[in-house]
Amino acid sequence: MVSCQAVANGTTQPRRADTDDKRKLIDSVDCFIFDCDGVIWRGDSVIDGVPETLDMLRAMGKRLVFVTNNSTKSRAGYLGKFTGLGLNVNAEEIYSSSYAAAAYLESIDFKKKVYVIGESGILEELDLKGIQHLGGPEDAEKVVALKKGEYMEHDEDVGAVVVGFDRHINYYKIQYATLCIRENPGCLFIATNMDAVTHLTDAQEWAGNGSMVGAIAGSTKREPITVGKPAEFMLDNIAKTFGLKRQQICMVGDRLDTDILFGKNGGLTTCLVLSGVTDEETLLSPENSVHPDYYMSQLSELLAVKEAAKVAA
Amino acid sequence: MLQLLQDYDCWVFDLDGTIWRGNEVIEGVLEALELLRKLGKKVLFMTNNSMKSRGSYLDKCLQVGLPAHVDDIYCSSYSAAAYLDSIGFDRSKKAYVVGERGIMQELAAVGIESFGGPDDNEKRASFSSEMLHDTQVGAVVCGVDPNLSYYKVQYASMCLLLNPGCLFIATNTDARGHFTPNLEWAGAGATVGAIKGVVERDPIVTGKPSPFLMQDIAAKHNVQPAKSIMVGDRLDTDILWGLNTGMATLLVMTGVTDEQLLVAQRGSSNGVKPHFVMDSFGDLRRVAQQALQQQK
Repeated sequence: MVSCQAVANGTTQPRRADTDDKRKLIDSVDCFIFDCDGVIWRGDSVIDGVPETLDMLRAMGKRLVFVTNNSTKSRAGYLGKFTGLGLNVNAEEIYSSSYAAAAYLESIDFKKKVYVIGESGILEELDLKGIQHLGGPEDAEKVVALKKGEYMEHDEDVGAVVVGFDRHINYYKIQYATLCIRENPGCLFIATNMDAVTHLTDAQEWAGNGSMVGAIAGSTKREPITVGKPAEFMLDNIAKTFGLKRQQICMVGDRLDTDILFGKNGGLTTCLVLSGVTDEETLLSPENSVHPDYYMSQLSELLAVKEAAKVAA
Repeated sequence: MLQLLQDYDCWVFDLDGTIWRGNEVIEGVLEALELLRKLGKKVLFMTNNSMKSRGSYLDKCLQVGLPAHVDDIYCSSYSAAAYLDSIGFDRSKKAYVVGERGIMQELAAVGIESFGGPDDNEKRASFSSEMLHDTQVGAVVCGVDPNLSYYKVQYASMCLLLNPGCLFIATNTDARGHFTPNLEWAGAGATVGAIKGVVERDPIVTGKPSPFLMQDIAAKHNVQPAKSIMVGDRLDTDILWGLNTGMATLLVMTGVTDEQLLVAQRGSSNGVKPHFVMDSFGDLRRVAQQALQQQK
């Protein structure tokens, strides 16, 4: 029996999942959505037990979706990372924020051009949806000299600016995007995600897409439509694509403020793993009000269900 | 218009979009300013453009035929330095600048060591090795940066996130500016927005519309806000600054504000409403000429 502790606001403390909880969790949902970093892998190494866990869930008929806010690669680009780590995955099961941006434009029947701040992943996903684009990596070395006579033309057919993580962000791109948003009537301002920091290397945190988006928000005084976690769109699109209701889905992640909150706001069952950025202390601290339905040390703990079934047989 | 000349002794002018656009002076403005001075009015300049120092703006004024004194010119680069000076910024610390040379010159003028700025234009972040930062940076100071880069945003963010007590200072947060005559360019708002997107906190803004510089102006020039008027082309900086500091405000339509925006602001309950509006400050010269004749 697991004891529950009621806290001041009346909600119960998060429960560390025991074997019964794990079986209940697996039986109650038809689909698992996994955040990648800190759940499936850490940097370039797969977290132990994950491949077997995924295989087990598939064998039990579960739909698996892998979500990442990283927009630099396309879904097909990410497939390489998965297979390289020994994970059996299809490109259609990968939901990158680069794909989310293209899917969003498709969902509103977008017919104009897109100016892209970001890397090749976004361009590839736009190509797959047949959406015309300009900018991206080809604008990486462009320089603006604010001297007399300097002028910048912009394409009046740009109907959306998509801003994703860009290691080559520069003033030219910021200005071009600003002109499109300011001067082209109805031009959309779309952000793949708003993460303040990203873990490109193990050694330190790096400025995330929050900074690219922030630059454009600062020069246009407009807020973007966000398509990645924790925005509704991604969840909507996943549910629609796979014909699922929210109650049939469990979100598994390592971050309270994006993954778990994302899941809760979306009406999903939520499970936190401690193999990423959140530790047990932070989770159980009175300052934390985001409570997942379940938590466990890492994803492979679900394998206990298989073990228990073997023992019972 | 004649009333304006009678009621206000101190006239503070924005530069871009009010006096000039890029390097071209707006028609009639030089004459109008000369007439104001002849009428015994105090004429000051206040710009949010952070690219140059006061000294450089003085040079520009003289180049276009506008006589001025460096003490009459207030710019946002100066405001950041004056702010840090006013809070007793620890001179054993340094400032990291994301912006142009003007900010570094103004900081040096108050004895604050700075680095970064245009000297970091060619630097690129390398993700194959750890990026280090100076733990002695006690303030990050931002302005418009036509050479903004990932490296600069990352460096500034590291200082703000990892150096205890490091201050986040914005010379201004203007979305755009008339840095060339025929186009508006992304302003300091972009630089500040980029860094804010990482560190998730707001900067201390020292230029318009922050009232900070008013104390400096009032003390140096012995002016009272009640007898002063701010003339500018932007509602959210010039006019708001005038309102925030208790001055009268005169909006001119030679810069970024168009009729549509003005009407929208007037119609909104919390819109920024100038006391007076003119198409161009140059239009004042006929009335000023009249007033001068009357004086004689």
